[in-house]
Amino acid sequence: MSSLNQDQIKTLEQSRQRLIQLTHSLASLITSLNQSDPLPSWTSLQSQATIISNNLLTISDHLSDNRDLLANVVAYPDASYPSRVPTNNVALEQVLRTKLDPRVEDWVARGRRAGSSDSAALGHGQGLSEQALSDLWHWAPVEANQEARRRNWGGNFTLEEREMGIEKVVTGLTRVLDDDDDDDEDQSDSEEGEGEADEMEIVGVRRRSGAGAGLEFDIAAANNTPGAGTKVVAPVVPLEEILRFMTTGAVPGQR
Amino acid sequence: MHELLLFASVPAHQHHELLQQLAGLTAMQPRHRLERRLIFKAYRKPGLMNTRVGASQDLQGLELQRLNKMLNGGMFYTQVVGPVAETDFGAKPSSSGDAHVSISGLEDQSSPPYSYEDQPWKLEFRDIPEAGTRSAVTARLMASATLPKGDITSPMNAWGYSFITEYVVEGDVFVLNDIVIFLHRVLLYPTGAQESHGPRRQLPAYRELSPLERTGSYVLQAAITVQDGGNQEMMRTASQHLFGLREQLKSAVRLEQADRLSLDTRAK
Repeated sequence: MSSLNQDQIKTLEQSRQRLIQLTHSLASLITSLNQSDPLPSWTSLQSQATIISNNLLTISDHLSDNRDLLANVVAYPDASYPSRVPTNNVALEQVLRTKLDPRVEDWVARGRRAGSSDSAALGHGQGLSEQALSDLWHWAPVEANQEARRRNWGGNFTLEEREMGIEKVVTGLTRVLDDDDDDDEDQSDSEEGEGEADEMEIVGVRRRSGAGAGLEFDIAAANNTPGAGTKVVAPVVPLEEILRFMTTGAVPGQR
Repeated sequence: MHELLLFASVPAHQHHELLQQLAGLTAMQPRHRLERRLIFKAYRKPGLMNTRVGASQDLQGLELQRLNKMLNGGMFYTQVVGPVAETDFGAKPSSSGDAHVSISGLEDQSSPPYSYEDQPWKLEFRDIPEAGTRSAVTARLMASATLPKGDITSPMNAWGYSFITEYVVEGDVFVLNDIVIFLHRVLLYPTGAQESHGPRRQLPAYRELSPLERTGSYVLQAAITVQDGGNQEMMRTASQHLFGLREQLKSAVRLEQADRLSLDTRAK
């Protein structure tokens, strides 16, 4: 049994360094998960995961590069090792172990199982082959588009709802939506006399430039608004005046 | 109790859409709410004031100052709020004494008459919003108490409050977690006829009410009530929640802190 040369020692030292890095980044992830409340943002989680996976990659590269050496190296205690001190003995036992720690063995077994089931699934037609995948990708957009064209995108109810009877459909509001397509039913009882147009308005909101609180609205569908010409009118009485009236009864405009 | 608030002005044309957006956001139907709100103002009872502090009477002066403060300080506007229903408007007054006699009366079938004697009331005290708070929400001290039913002016007078005015608040309430969202507007009684020396005993027809804001715009109010206002942690969490709502509604309305002086309830 020859002793190690400089290069080999350097390799061992490198593996040690990289493992330390890995344990550090794992530990920092664990502490950040345990201690920070609320949980760390996903960006920081993701960057930590990236660091860890990079660490794993370098370690795995390093191990496979030096496979010959590392497979053959054996540890044995030197005569000068201070084995009388009990704390040293613990380290010694760790180093001299030839089998893995039972816990670690469990992890490894679990990892192997997960890996083998994945590869089995790929190999035995459980997953999709490359060809099938690309076929799927070519097929899907066309099909989705055709499906979309088949639908009528206006109106308040879907075909299915209409077939089941629109009376039972739960809509967002209590007001009665009238169904454009079958006018013969359900028209009579629109409550509160609101004969509102039901088309959705597309409203763009932007901060009004210049002074003053409030927003400005661009209504795309201009004259869909209910009833007698409700136009886009900005409130005349500012919010402050309304609140003042509500608290003290001071009529707006005269204080 | 403390109350944290954000406000926004909602133009009339946006009201309907915002209702739908809020219904979606809160996953609940709007709860329609109609309230009569009476405003009372504290006044100085004659004879209880004007204890002038002389410069020479140092020792006594201190006590007198404290007395003065007790008597004259803390003069506030307060609101008395009573829930009403739309059917109460324009309803015939129940001719108070005869109510029991006319049980067999046929007219009663149409709509139950509005009875001022049975109107429940709630006293709502709101302090002026706290000054110089760093967070951008309106925070103020609040307290509510249930009052006896019926005519409220005489007990209020006895406590040193005089009736100022009244109006109706119409709106819809949503609840999102701990936030109460109230989209409302102020309706005024038709002017003329019965002028205000006290709350109305009967209500005019609902159509006759006119919005304070002529264009019919609404006010969106988001409120969180905090039981223990001294708990800084709690107050901070509550304002965080309000900011969360502000973010969510950013594309629809701009929720903001209200002007502090516009919510000034101190009576000068």
